[in-house]
Amino acid sequence: MAATFFGEVVKAPCRAGTEEEEEDEEERRETSEDREARRQLARKREVRLFRRQTKTSLEVALLEKYPCSKFIIAIGNNAVAFLSSFVMNSGVWEEVGCAKLWNEWCRTTDTTHLSPAEAFCVFYHLKSNPSRTQCPEQLGRQVRQMRCQAGEVFLCQCTCYVAEDQQYQWLEKVFGSCPRKNMQVTILTCRHVTDYKTSESTSSLHSPFLKALKTQNFKEPPCCSLLEQPNIAHDLPAAVLSYCQVWGIPAVLYLCYTDVMKLDLVTVEAFKPILSSRSWKGLVKNIPQSTEILKRLMTTNEIQSNIYT
Amino acid sequence: MKKEYLHTLQGTRDERLRRMSFVLRSLWNIQMDMSFGSWIHVSHSDGHLFQVEYAQEAVKKGSTAVGIRGTDIVVLGVEKKSVAKLQDERTVRKICALDDHVCMAFAGLTADARVVINRARVECQSHKLTVEDPVTVEYITRFIATLKQKYTQSNGRRPFGISALIVGFDDDGIPRLYQTDPSGTYHAWKANAIGRSAKTVREFLEKNYTEDAIANDNEAVKLAIRALLEVVQSGGKNIELAIIRRNQPLKMFSAKEIELQVTEIEKEKEEAEKKKSKKIA
Repeated sequence: MAATFFGEVVKAPCRAGTEEEEEDEEERRETSEDREARRQLARKREVRLFRRQTKTSLEVALLEKYPCSKFIIAIGNNAVAFLSSFVMNSGVWEEVGCAKLWNEWCRTTDTTHLSPAEAFCVFYHLKSNPSRTQCPEQLGRQVRQMRCQAGEVFLCQCTCYVAEDQQYQWLEKVFGSCPRKNMQVTILTCRHVTDYKTSESTSSLHSPFLKALKTQNFKEPPCCSLLEQPNIAHDLPAAVLSYCQVWGIPAVLYLCYTDVMKLDLVTVEAFKPILSSRSWKGLVKNIPQSTEILKRLMTTNEIQSNIYT
Repeated sequence: MKKEYLHTLQGTRDERLRRMSFVLRSLWNIQMDMSFGSWIHVSHSDGHLFQVEYAQEAVKKGSTAVGIRGTDIVVLGVEKKSVAKLQDERTVRKICALDDHVCMAFAGLTADARVVINRARVECQSHKLTVEDPVTVEYITRFIATLKQKYTQSNGRRPFGISALIVGFDDDGIPRLYQTDPSGTYHAWKANAIGRSAKTVREFLEKNYTEDAIANDNEAVKLAIRALLEVVQSGGKNIELAIIRRNQPLKMFSAKEIELQVTEIEKEKEEAEKKKSKKIA
C-alpha cells in the first residue's frame, strides 16, 4: 500500500508478487472446458488451402508446388480489380488454389461452407500466353517471351480479411517453411487517405496517390515515391513484406491512398504506373482492352447499389 | 425534484400514484436526454462535429455534379449513374426542378435527396401561394440550408448526406448559383462541383473559368461538359445536362445534343494540339 500527497491510501503495484496474486492465478488456471473451447476456436480459425475444382485440400505450400519468379499479391477490391483488368485479361491463367479461413470479419457463420464468391483469396498461375499481336514480326519474340514466363508468374487475389493470428498461418501455407529467395514479390493494396500522416494539409493531397515500401533485397527502383515515416503498412500486406524482409526475398508493397475504399475506377487506375516497371513487362498486353474490362467491372458493381447518386 | 417527491407522499392513493408516475417519467426523460441527446450532435473536444463530417464523406460517394453561372445562362451538368438493364432510367435522376425557374443537382444519399427535394418543392409552392411571388434562388437555398442545419442539431436525427447545387434566375434577371452542404452552410458561386472527384473538377474550373469561357451560352455549356469530361470515363454517354436561360424554363439536353457538343470539344482539342505541335516544330 502507498500513501499519496493528499493522504489517500492506494494499492501500489508490487513486482515481487503477493499472496493475493497467487489466489488470482489459481482462478485464472484453465479448466478442461477452457482448453476445449480454445482448441475449437483454433480449429475454426485455421487457414486451409484447397482446390475448388476437386475440393481436395493442398498439403504442400503453394509456392513449393508452383515455384515462380514473380509473385503478385492483390489485397482489397481495387487492387484485385486492377489485376483482373490489366494482368489477367491476357494469357491463360489457371486457378491452383483457394484459401479458406474464418474470422470475426466474415459475414457467414457457417465455417464449413465458406464460398469465395464475395470475400475470397484465390491463387492463379500463368499457364500459357497464346495471345496474338497486330504486328506479326513481333509475334515470335513475344510468344518466346511469354513461353518463358508461363509458369513463372504466380498471382493471388485476396479480398477477405486475414486476422492477425491467421497471417502467419497464411504465409506458411503459401510460402512454405523455407521460401525461395530467387523470386520477386509485389503486393498491391489500398488504404484510406485519412490514414496517411503528413505535415501538409489533407485538403491539398491529390488522392488517390501511390506510395511504395520495399525490402532490403529489392534493388529495382519503385514506380513511385517511398512511403515516408511515420506512415506504416498494416495487416496482411505488412505481414507479407515483413516475412520477405526476414527471409531476404526482394519484395515491394505498392500502397494506394484513396478517399473511396469501395471499388472505384479512379483508384484502380492509380495503380497504372506499376505497369511501366521492368518486372511487369510482358505481363500486360493490351491496355485499351484492359480499360474496357475495367469499365465493365465498375458498371456491374455500380449498378448493384442505389444508395448514392 | 425533491419537493415533488415529498408531495407525492401526501394525498390519496390515486393522487400519490399519479404524482409518482409523473416524477418517474420526468426522471426517465432527463436521463434519456442526458444519455442520448448528448450523443449525436455534441461537439468533440476539438470542435469537430463527426456526424456532419461523416455526412460530407457520404457526399463524396455520389457521382460528380458541376454548376456554372454564365452571363445569360446557368448550367448544371452531372455524371450519370449506370442504370441496371431492367431499371427505368427516368427514375434515376440527379437534376430536379424545384420550380419553373429554379433547379437543383445533388450528390450523396439518394433517399436524403428525395426528402430535401420534396420539402423544397412544397416550400416553393407555399411561398407562391402566400406571397404571390415565386421564390428567389437565394430564398430556397436558405430554406434548404436551414433544414439541413436543423438536422445537425437535433436529438435522434442525423444530418442529410447530400450537397446540392441550386441554380436559377431571379425576377431581376440575374443568374444565380448556390451550393449547400450537409452542415447547412450555403454560398454563392460562379462555378463549383460536388461529389466524387469534385476537387479535380474545381481545379479545372479555376483554371478555365474566364470571361471568354462564359462569353455566350454555348461556351458556358461547353465549359461544363469539358469540366465533367475531366472525370467522367465513358465520355458523353454518361453526362446529363440542364440549362436555364433568362425567362425560359428548364431545358434538359438530349443525348444527341450532348454528343454533338462532345464531338465539337474533341475537334477543338485536336486543333489546339496541332497548333501546339506546329509552334514547337
